[in-house]
Amino acid sequence: MVMCTILQVTSRLARGGLSVQCCQRALYSTQNKTRLYTKKHEWVSVSDNIGTVGISNYAQDALGEVVYVQLPEVGQEIAAGDECGALESVKAAGEVYSPVSGTITEKNTTLESKPALINKSCYEDGWLFRVKLSNMDEVKQLMDQTAYDKYLEEH
Amino acid sequence: MAQAMLKKIATSSACLVVGLTRRSSARTLAIASKNVNSKKEGVLPAEGEITKSVFMSQSNDIYTNLALEDWMYRNMDFTNHHVMMVWRNDPCVVIGRHQNPWLEANVPLVNEMQIALARRNSGGGTVYHDRGNLNITFFTPRERYDRKYNLEIITRALFRGFGVKAVINERQDIIVRDNYKVSGTAAKLGRLTGYHHCTLLVNANKADLSKALAKREHGIQTIATASTRSPVANLSEVNSRVTVDSLQTAVGYEYLRTPALHLEDGGQAHISQQRGFQFVNPTDEWFPGLAELKNELQTWDWNYGRTPVFTVSRAFPVPAQLLAPSEIYSATQELIINMTVEHGLISDVTLNIPPGLIESGFHGEASVITHLKGKRFTSEALNALQDAMLTRHLNTEVRKLDDKEQFVAKCFDQVCCELYCTIIKAVLLNPNCLCTYNTAVERIRGMKMEKQKIVFKVSLHNYLQ
Repeated sequence: MVMCTILQVTSRLARGGLSVQCCQRALYSTQNKTRLYTKKHEWVSVSDNIGTVGISNYAQDALGEVVYVQLPEVGQEIAAGDECGALESVKAAGEVYSPVSGTITEKNTTLESKPALINKSCYEDGWLFRVKLSNMDEVKQLMDQTAYDKYLEEH
Repeated sequence: MAQAMLKKIATSSACLVVGLTRRSSARTLAIASKNVNSKKEGVLPAEGEITKSVFMSQSNDIYTNLALEDWMYRNMDFTNHHVMMVWRNDPCVVIGRHQNPWLEANVPLVNEMQIALARRNSGGGTVYHDRGNLNITFFTPRERYDRKYNLEIITRALFRGFGVKAVINERQDIIVRDNYKVSGTAAKLGRLTGYHHCTLLVNANKADLSKALAKREHGIQTIATASTRSPVANLSEVNSRVTVDSLQTAVGYEYLRTPALHLEDGGQAHISQQRGFQFVNPTDEWFPGLAELKNELQTWDWNYGRTPVFTVSRAFPVPAQLLAPSEIYSATQELIINMTVEHGLISDVTLNIPPGLIESGFHGEASVITHLKGKRFTSEALNALQDAMLTRHLNTEVRKLDDKEQFVAKCFDQVCCELYCTIIKAVLLNPNCLCTYNTAVERIRGMKMEKQKIVFKVSLHNYLQ
């Protein structure tokens, strides 16, 4: 929480003192500042120690149209990197891994009847589940938007 | 032995030597097998550093082969070593990971014919296997999962070996003669490893295939993945020289002569640099932990219990003699039963009783519903129904259900039995069988429904008329 506040302050300071071009970049990063990525293309956005988890645009595109979603149960304890569900597209079942450790607090039940929402809106309506983080430090090891974009370019 | 070996792998990530071949007794096979935790997300090697093997499973048991596939997926490192495994099974029906067996297969018939029913870990639709069907699994690191490459290997082998022209369609099925499917494809993608497996119909029993997968109208509503039904052909119909053995060899050599990452003919020179064909014996001794994976794949909880939530709805016209005689009804009087089944257990039951049946004095539906909840969607449900019907009459020693209760009970039976157990329906509804509902249930109790081989041919329709 304290960390978040510090980040917000620094980002505000940064925006205030830089040129127009940099302002745009700062603005861009503000939009996505809470969305952090894993190398396996999951994202998590944390507010008040509750993380919302989904898959990135790259991942949904690679998977193709999702036809069935299997999500973890509310109350389930998971560790970062644990297999905690599956997304089935036409002919391939891709495992879902949690980017963070904690307890599942909510799952996106809309996806059960409308799995293709993941393709249409992977960052908004197509979120997968919410998790109460047990270790806030894990978030620091994830990539921000800029780092993730760079990672995608390199791979 | 197995434990010692497991320990050895876990502690030192030493090579697990799996040696067993029929062709050459001295050939041994080294798998760079590491404990799953020690697998690292490293940099992928260049094409030249990758070697290839063709594994030939010596088992014909679907659960063993699926367990072997899962074992390899969990435990082996495919970074520098790509593997193609060929395997075949005794007759079985294999459903996709998120499918409904009651909807995809003719469950009573499959049980009667002793065809195994198995749920696999990969997505996709339902397929039928027998010894006339070749299964091929391609293992690679997840980043190098390439379905198109794998399917091309197969079509190239078909052409090189037999002159059969096969095409890969937009659904990534392999088709011959314009629209006859010979191969179905599915895949599982994990963090480190991805595998793609497919079937190839060579000379499978097409009559049994259609019977086992016969679609029946159940009135089931579900979000489970549905199969796409396609006309199928056997490759032996296209060219009689294609046999499971010759095809296995042809595809194996094609795989070995092709570089790991792009489609090009590397010829004999390339084959000689690979690790070749190896027989593998899927036992717990060679693959520690395999037996446990196999047991898991054989459980009711996995095969039936993992079915995504579904609802069965049926409407039954109420026979005229059960309605209140004094009333005249304008519409057909129908009893409607909805059963919601979650994790294979009945989670909710609703019963819509037509006015005609209520006016004639039917009651007792509430206790029926309470007793059914939480029961397995099998014969257990029927027993619960029986108990529910009798609870109100604990003081009477032997009591027959009245006609109305029998009717409702039979309707329930149909919802359960049609999908699961033919024998109950047979005993209860055979017009020639004079036994009452009670004695029928007595006869059924304690029987293992899964193993029943006897099927009574009866027509529910006749009875209800």
